[in-house]
Amino acid sequence: MNTATNGLKTWTTLAGGRRRPTEYEVVSYNLHTRTRHPGYAYELSPELFMNRFYREHVGGSVLQHPDWDAFRDPDELIYRQYNVLQDGHEEYVDGLLEEHARNEHDLALDPAWLKGLPRLYTAARYPLHALQMAAAYVVQMAPASTITNCAAFQGADQYRWISRLAYRTRELQVACPDLGFGAERALWEDDPAWQGFRELLEKLLATYDWGEHVIALNVVAKPAFDLCRCRQLARAARDAGDTLTAMLLEAEWRDSERSQRWTQALVALTLQHAPNDAAIATILARWQPLADTAIDAWCAALPGVPEAAAAVKRGLRELQQACGVQPA
Amino acid sequence: MALLNSEDWYDIARDTNWTPRYVSEQALFPKELSDVLEMPLELLETFDEPYKVTYRDYVKTQREKDVGAYSVKAALARSQMYENASPGWKALLQMHFGAVSFLEYHSVSAFARMTRFGRAPGMRNMATFGSLDEMRHAQVHLYFAYEYLAKSRTFDWAQKAPRTDNWVIISERHTFDDLEHTRDAISAAIMTNFAFETAFTNLQFIALSADAANCGDFSFSTMLQSIQSDEARHAQIGEPLLKMMIDSGRKAEAQKLIDISFWRCWKQFSALSGTCMDYYTPLDKREGSFKEFMNEWILDQFVAKLEDMGMEKPWYWDLLLEDIEVFHHAQQLGIYLYRPTEWWHPIAGTNPAERAWLEEKYPGWNDTFGQVWDVIIENIRAGRLDSTIPKTLPMLCNMHGLELTGVPGRKWNLKDHTLDYQGRRYHFQSVVDKWIFEQEPERYAGHLSLIDRVAQGIVAPDGVMEHMNMAPEEYGIEGTNYAWVEAYDDALTTRRATGT
Repeated sequence: MNTATNGLKTWTTLAGGRRRPTEYEVVSYNLHTRTRHPGYAYELSPELFMNRFYREHVGGSVLQHPDWDAFRDPDELIYRQYNVLQDGHEEYVDGLLEEHARNEHDLALDPAWLKGLPRLYTAARYPLHALQMAAAYVVQMAPASTITNCAAFQGADQYRWISRLAYRTRELQVACPDLGFGAERALWEDDPAWQGFRELLEKLLATYDWGEHVIALNVVAKPAFDLCRCRQLARAARDAGDTLTAMLLEAEWRDSERSQRWTQALVALTLQHAPNDAAIATILARWQPLADTAIDAWCAALPGVPEAAAAVKRGLRELQQACGVQPA
Repeated sequence: MALLNSEDWYDIARDTNWTPRYVSEQALFPKELSDVLEMPLELLETFDEPYKVTYRDYVKTQREKDVGAYSVKAALARSQMYENASPGWKALLQMHFGAVSFLEYHSVSAFARMTRFGRAPGMRNMATFGSLDEMRHAQVHLYFAYEYLAKSRTFDWAQKAPRTDNWVIISERHTFDDLEHTRDAISAAIMTNFAFETAFTNLQFIALSADAANCGDFSFSTMLQSIQSDEARHAQIGEPLLKMMIDSGRKAEAQKLIDISFWRCWKQFSALSGTCMDYYTPLDKREGSFKEFMNEWILDQFVAKLEDMGMEKPWYWDLLLEDIEVFHHAQQLGIYLYRPTEWWHPIAGTNPAERAWLEEKYPGWNDTFGQVWDVIIENIRAGRLDSTIPKTLPMLCNMHGLELTGVPGRKWNLKDHTLDYQGRRYHFQSVVDKWIFEQEPERYAGHLSLIDRVAQGIVAPDGVMEHMNMAPEEYGIEGTNYAWVEAYDDALTTRRATGT
């Protein structure tokens, strides 16, 4: 019979560590219930669709690791800090928008540049939303709560920039009612500049192996997409005197960099398990060509930056190398 | 030029659906994950979230809310609230944090299912916030529980519970995995957002919060209220979907989802909140009885909501009204008797004054549940403590996963509703639990309750505690060290003298 009523210094699951657990670990570590039993993630018939689905796509994933819970977000982001961080960044964006509106920024833009913005800039809300959905898939499938949390913040970040893009779309629509702002769906669906990314993202969304999904998303598709816009389009915008677009994209890049940091940590952990090396190489070999096609098509539409595609591909390979994987 | 208002651009931010070309619609949105009823996309795309919040406002508001919730905690961190709390309130906190924290965290993924597989951008965006909300609730729970951990190891279960096969945790998982995690995005939203969150979270966040404030536990009270403000927002994902189901001739299917979810939630809240409200909360701090709260805040409001939507009361309404009188009293007995199997330190909550209150709130209590408590009291007073802990395992319901209970004493009523399905016999508490099973037997039939695991030899009878991941130092102990029976020394003398 237990008579012990005294307390503990830390969660039993964190006891024995060499240092005192941080608040991040206390509220983020080892929280999933779906990973407790390899046979059934959910407390119902093992042969129920969702149990088979989880078994197949996580238990049978191309990526395996004996201890996914060993993953730590290098930013150690927890919910309340996320809001503090992003509220501050949003305040900065509010300031940018207010200041540029006051200066009638849009009216001073070069008409040729403005004409290209629906295609190059505001149509991006569709792929951003695809990335939001893809992150949500990682949230619901990841075999560690520390991974789930990073993906949840990433998904919310994507919606952040859809919102800001919608804001700008409306502002530009008011300033230039005849340029097609707000009617970008046809561009996303049919414009050759977008078809590469459309194919990449549709295929990514329909990829249900969790390991392949997270690598294809965070090591290939998202950084490729972010590099195109947040680096190359930002550069073109600056050259065209569109400082607002440039500064918004540069602000978006900060969120992308956070994604890259946890991606590097995740890949580093993944590579601790030797067979994953070959698995990741296979994933990259499958997805990199799609990304390259997407980059080429999109960058070809970018005016004034002839070497954009090469720069994006170089940037992407650098990010992949930083993750410790050899680009395909 | 001034900043735009959110209504100027909000619709653009949710104009993000497109028609896939490089993969099929079915590959992108498998019906098992998106919508088993295959409602027309044109209809689903009309989803209009009743409560609109922008990302900008979300991070600002939530930041401010967290400052409030965490600062109360900081102010009280050095207080002696826990040390000074009654054994019942301690038991309530221990049970609450162990039972609720992991469910909050699990829900992060349920909303992510809606974000990925919902068919309307507005639904997906609101579910994106839903995932963050649930992460908030999990983290604030874990943060608070961690504070208490230094005072009692029972709070380890706030973090540990999800990885265990404790019978209470199995019961919770069976329920909420059924409603939230193993259905298509639309069914899950109806069952979770509409039936569960709209109907039942008031119980946690209004009733429990009021009791907590009465007990002087302001940090817990503030935490619960702060969580409720998120629930009230994201619960609204369900209603537009329900309306679509009705408008497209799928009212019967919607009704079934609601009926299943409402009953399953009822069983959980009855066993966990009902016992807390009517037994664990100190008598002089109770806002009202569990039954009163159910009637006022749950049943009346939910029925009004259902009727407002053109839906019917669940078919089992009369059975529910009967169950409200008894189920949690029976569960309280089981929880008390099987206390070593629980991570918290249960109390009886049945001293003479508490019994008088129970009899007043639930006329006939003394002639039924009271008779069992009389036996327990006699055993404790005679020093036969071992006799107050059953030697055999209880029968568990194959639907709600809790003990199969009935009404003891003079109104003896225990009926095991059985069903033979594919060579196996299943046991149910009620016709409703059995009915749920029959709606989709293959969903439930393969699951083994803790007792099934023993019966099938998967778990040895003497290995049950280990299977439940309970180390000996974690076995639940009597929360008052049996001090509560002392009140009967006087009471019994009086009763014998007066012949009552």
